[in-house]
Amino acid sequence: MSELNVETREVGEITLLYPRGFINAHTVRHFEDEIRKALNTKHFKLVVNCEGLTYIASAGLGAMMGAIEEIRGNGGDLRLAALNETVRNIFEILGFHHLYRIFPSEVEAIRSFRDGEGAPS
Amino acid sequence: MSAARGQTGGRRERAAPPRRPAAAARPDLALVVPSETHFLVLIKELTKRMAEAAGFAAGVPDRVALAVDEAATNVIEHAYHGATDRTFEVRYENRDGTFQVEVVDTGAMVDPRAMPRVDLDRYVTERRTGGLGVHLMEKIMDSVTFQRSARRNVCRLVKRKD
Repeated sequence: MSELNVETREVGEITLLYPRGFINAHTVRHFEDEIRKALNTKHFKLVVNCEGLTYIASAGLGAMMGAIEEIRGNGGDLRLAALNETVRNIFEILGFHHLYRIFPSEVEAIRSFRDGEGAPS
Repeated sequence: MSAARGQTGGRRERAAPPRRPAAAARPDLALVVPSETHFLVLIKELTKRMAEAAGFAAGVPDRVALAVDEAATNVIEHAYHGATDRTFEVRYENRDGTFQVEVVDTGAMVDPRAMPRVDLDRYVTERRTGGLGVHLMEKIMDSVTFQRSARRNVCRLVKRKD
């Protein structure tokens, strides 16, 4: 069983990440590596499509927090799309929905970048 | 059974064994887990099932499972510093009014009160990523306590059923 698989694709200057499975202390390194690959190639506009993400623990949230300053410092943002109820609930418990822009779908997250919408203040 | 014993020559009926005092109650389930992150998902799934069996409403078992996952992660990462050759125990108790999980390790003493409080603004500006697990545990559970006793760390997580 694959615990976490992360596919990526690029749409223009936007990098889309598709984590499938769960992110906890056991799998978080793989998720971090995929974020890091994007940043190393100067891609700072990221959308994490969470449609296939069943569960995220604080390790996964920490991975995003660890990268967000670099991302936003380079004019980009990390945005989330298609969270299931469990994952959304975890974001809300921590107040992360105030820190990250969350969209119902990947299309809307991509559009927000194209419309030039900024990161949460 | 007791009627049958009553017919044996007038011997006194055997007294029922004394009830175990509540304070010494055995857990409903105790699990010894190797200190490998590979097992975290197992703990999460088991906790969810135990919380469901305890009668919590939909959504609550998922959150309780996350809190216990975080407690176990703390043991592996902080008490055992990532060593994979240790074990820790997860103990479940389902009582009338509460559902309790204890995560018990024999590693280094970890004082969660020494962990920085979560300040989301500072998390962004200082790129801090620690302390989120304890914060989650406290947000989800009604009570989270840490005790050091007989060289063991006991993290006790309690969720009320009301």
